[in-house]
Amino acid sequence: MSANFSAIIRAAVFIVIALVLCGLIFEIAGYPGVQTFDAIIDGAFLRRNALEHALRWALPLFITATGVVISFRAGYFNIGAQGQFYVGAICAAFVAEWLKGYPGAVVVPLCFAAGMTGGALWALWPGLLRLRSGADEVITTLMGNFLAGLLLVYVTAGPLKDPSGSGQQASSRPLEAAYRISTSNGVSPIIIGIAIFVGLAMWFLVNRTAFGVLSGLGGRNPTMVKWQGASVWRIGLASFLISGALAGLAGTIELMGPNGRLAGGFLPAHGFTAVLIALVAGLSITGTAIAAFFFGGLASAALYLPVIAGLPSAAIDIINAAIALFITAKSRFVDRIASFWRRPWTTS
Amino acid sequence: MDDIVIAILRSGTPLVYVALAGVIAQRSGIWHLGLEGLMITGACATIVGTVLTGSVGLSLLIAVLLCALGSILFWFVVEVLKANQIIAGLGLTGLGLGGTSLAIQAIFGSQGAVSAPAGLPKIGAAFGAYGGLSVLVLAMPFVVFLTWVLLCRTRFGLRLAASGEHPFAARSVGANPAMMRLVALVIGGGFCALAGAELAAGSLQIFSQNMTAGRGFMGFAAVIFGAGHPVWATFAALFFAIVGAIGIRAQLVFGDRIPHDLLLGLPYIATVFGIWLSARLRGGARGATGGFGELKDP
Amino acid sequence: MKELPGVVLASRNATVRYGDVVALDDVSISFSGGMIHAVVGQNGAGKTTFARMVSGLVRPAEGSLEINGRSIAGGNVNDARRAGVELVHQSFALPPSFTVAEAMQFGADGGRLYTRAALERRWQAHLDALDVKVSAGAQIRTLTVEQQQAVEIARALVTDASLLILDEPTAVLSPEGAEKLFERIRRLRERGVTIILILHKIREVLAVSDTVSVLRGGRLIDGPLPVADMDAERLASLIIGPSGREFAGDDLEALTGALSPVAGGADKTSAPQSEILSMRDLSTRTDGDGPPLNSVDLAVHAGEIVGVAGVEGNGQRTLVRAISGLADIMDGSLEIDGRDMTRSSLLARRAMGLRVIPFERNVEGLSLTSALWENWSVGQLLGRPLHAAITPKGLRQGCRAALDNWDVRYSTVEQRAGSLSGGNAQKVILSREMDDAARLIVAAQPTRGLDIGATAFVWEAMRDARRRGCGVLFVSSDLDEIFDIADRVVVMLAGKIVGEFRAPFDLASVGSAMTGARA
Repeated sequence: MSANFSAIIRAAVFIVIALVLCGLIFEIAGYPGVQTFDAIIDGAFLRRNALEHALRWALPLFITATGVVISFRAGYFNIGAQGQFYVGAICAAFVAEWLKGYPGAVVVPLCFAAGMTGGALWALWPGLLRLRSGADEVITTLMGNFLAGLLLVYVTAGPLKDPSGSGQQASSRPLEAAYRISTSNGVSPIIIGIAIFVGLAMWFLVNRTAFGVLSGLGGRNPTMVKWQGASVWRIGLASFLISGALAGLAGTIELMGPNGRLAGGFLPAHGFTAVLIALVAGLSITGTAIAAFFFGGLASAALYLPVIAGLPSAAIDIINAAIALFITAKSRFVDRIASFWRRPWTTS
Repeated sequence: MDDIVIAILRSGTPLVYVALAGVIAQRSGIWHLGLEGLMITGACATIVGTVLTGSVGLSLLIAVLLCALGSILFWFVVEVLKANQIIAGLGLTGLGLGGTSLAIQAIFGSQGAVSAPAGLPKIGAAFGAYGGLSVLVLAMPFVVFLTWVLLCRTRFGLRLAASGEHPFAARSVGANPAMMRLVALVIGGGFCALAGAELAAGSLQIFSQNMTAGRGFMGFAAVIFGAGHPVWATFAALFFAIVGAIGIRAQLVFGDRIPHDLLLGLPYIATVFGIWLSARLRGGARGATGGFGELKDP
Repeated sequence: MKELPGVVLASRNATVRYGDVVALDDVSISFSGGMIHAVVGQNGAGKTTFARMVSGLVRPAEGSLEINGRSIAGGNVNDARRAGVELVHQSFALPPSFTVAEAMQFGADGGRLYTRAALERRWQAHLDALDVKVSAGAQIRTLTVEQQQAVEIARALVTDASLLILDEPTAVLSPEGAEKLFERIRRLRERGVTIILILHKIREVLAVSDTVSVLRGGRLIDGPLPVADMDAERLASLIIGPSGREFAGDDLEALTGALSPVAGGADKTSAPQSEILSMRDLSTRTDGDGPPLNSVDLAVHAGEIVGVAGVEGNGQRTLVRAISGLADIMDGSLEIDGRDMTRSSLLARRAMGLRVIPFERNVEGLSLTSALWENWSVGQLLGRPLHAAITPKGLRQGCRAALDNWDVRYSTVEQRAGSLSGGNAQKVILSREMDDAARLIVAAQPTRGLDIGATAFVWEAMRDARRRGCGVLFVSSDLDEIFDIADRVVVMLAGKIVGEFRAPFDLASVGSAMTGARA
């Protein structure tokens, strides 16, 4: 597919441009650019256990990002993955707290159900505002992120507060060991299994159902789909709910897997990174899996940098932001380079 | 009563400046979600500049220049490279938030808050209880008025609006929409710098990471709520500030009976309300943005 | 009166390319001053490109331009305007939220800072001097198309223009409106303004212009020729070219706008059969997209093509939306095939055999950035639940068969709809909408922007549908084509149906119904 191929080339070129911009910023800030990238690559993919660490971050990111793919494909800029992720984790934490003492086989599935429902509900209100009134979902979901952040702070410092906690940041009482689905390294068969299941299900939804075709068309041109008589309302609602539920699912995994408890403002860049992964992947599910691994590596490097290279973890935020700045860019020059490699038998 | 008005002016002035920046960009045809990033750049540059140079005026100038530079970058990406405005705007915001964190770390060796020895000049004792407000608060009504004149009463303003609403019409009278957008973004960048400066150096003289806390986005929401008109957007921004002040007031009245963190959320809820109301009144939003760029039909 | 200059505009070997497409090919032509020149040709002949090149909106790749004796670099609007060229666009270039005075001001010199009152005073005087009866304080979006056009002409004259180019100015007007426009243009000629009219109807060329030049396929075929020694038949053959004859067939006169004033009804076949669409006393809510329908009664029978005539913006869009279930119906009823569908969704109506070819081919009809097979398969997917599994392979095959059947020129079903030409894109829509289950076909401006071959194809498709017993509702603002293929014509004005005519149609009486002159 030459169209896909040139899209990949284009993405690669603009990521390189973004990285050069970052290198410049690092240089200005007094961190030698080349060494910085060296440290990042080392932290992300080369040091001992790096791939496992990358996977630990990549799995939840992948799940949230597939949700973003679903809503972006349908034409809705659901930037609120972060908020939906938080609310999902909060709901799951409450269920785990209320049902404390019951066996894990009962509590864990209920936690997952609660987490997904919570995420979906946090996507539902911006979705309804958008679909019923036309209120722009970019702003409402962004505001939803800030509100969910405050809710998280409130919950961890209030109803779920860990009385033994100390230090600046409040956190919730740790989950019972029976409810944890992984150790703090965050990679376990359950989590991998969930990610694979989500990936397969979403791939099927996008590529092999009426919803996939209609939502893709509607995302590019809602007017045309309306004139065909499709229910824009139902497609839109489903997209919002699915993307919210998946972000909530990722939040639940973070809570019940690696984190084991809620903390105010945990994983603050999760939602934005997931949006980025979806865009870098060109809104394809397979691409999302690859991009998630790459950004998972960056996320794990973020923790490693301050310790080893003396770089602030904000370096990773800057890289992510620069990629976001350029990833949707188009350029005739780059397209020409891409078409140079185009195989002659495919025409477009 | 005075203290409520002062609180509203303090929290409202940065919102007004950033909303004006959004209005100018909006009229030229750009949905500016990078306001937040420019605003925090302005805040950081003002405080850090004051610490390093000792001069508030000089650091304000640096802030304006940096924000203009960021605006030019944004213009290049959305206008020349035709990137999606929303995503690129969020990228610019991320660059501002991350870049200021990095700058603080690089210069001071820690990510803690930085306080400056001096803030913006105060309007002085002649204003009685209001004397502690900065000159930017005093200047705000005049800036709003001048912006209104520029946008609604000059030929430049007409050509700017045409560039956003009907670029082909602008082109056919000899205006260059791309250049109009560059001018709009650079002017807006200057306003963002002022907004950041007022936020950080208007009263507290402190910069801390992520201190804008979504105010740039609220300013953008004020643009929508105010239908892209400088005066209405100003009122929308002040409305958000009033809601925030009510929240703080409610805390004093109700004490612990209402959780503190949830009251802090009131301005965000007001923003959602504003977006919803303007959608109800004036029909759906996002008309002019071109949605997904490549992913949406022209 | 100014002294008449010799040659006002001269282009030498001008060539314009859009990417790989040559829109204007080596055009050398010169126009002399103080006259009305017509430039004609079918859609896609390069007329609009020529107008845009002269006014500086498009830069010629090769060749040179000379205006009033001055050599112009090309591709610079300010240069062209300084030399005295102004262009009036086909779909007007006026920002809808502006007031009339603001729309004048933003293209004018001077007055960098103004007050609203002074602005309106200044431009009201300008409008009055040109005899344009519009308030300078009115918002553009509240004006009728005739008023908008008058404002756009007035805007073009805010500078001291010596060469005014009007791009298809009559396309949006009623016959009477066109007559008024011609009157206005003749008055401008008396003031010494040279006028170039881009037209595509022979009747209008013969009525108003002093010379005519013909473009075909981006090349200048002939011109400027004096209109005095030109007749309709010769002009038609110049426009259509030798290869166009075979497409045109009996429709030649309708295609080139040379239909005689009383025409139509030649191929009317059988007596009307059962009613497929019946609207009774239907009214809709005001919704910002044209005037609402006001007690509309309309019937379409099986085996009948009903033409909806009217100046654009008189409720035709609302009518199509009301039939498609996309407008808010307040009052009255709508039946399809005898079943009440007033409150039904478009999906339910489609199940009853309704098919819609919407006004905006590239927005409402197709998703330009989606693959052809996706665009085509919507029709197949609508009846199924959202979670139903599909096989893309099967859909692609179905699409291929349908597109081949409709003679669409494409290379693969994966290609984007936006890569097709206008005519081929319309055929994709036809292949989706004119399937065997179609009973009632609403075709809204289906030939707009198409060249003669594609237009004739679309007309044939509609006649074919009639032969199969479908009812066809055919909305167009081009009376020639309506007269040529409709069995019955209704005229819309301000959201009402104000007249109904049967073949043979009389241009004068249909035309006056369009402007409300008829009682």
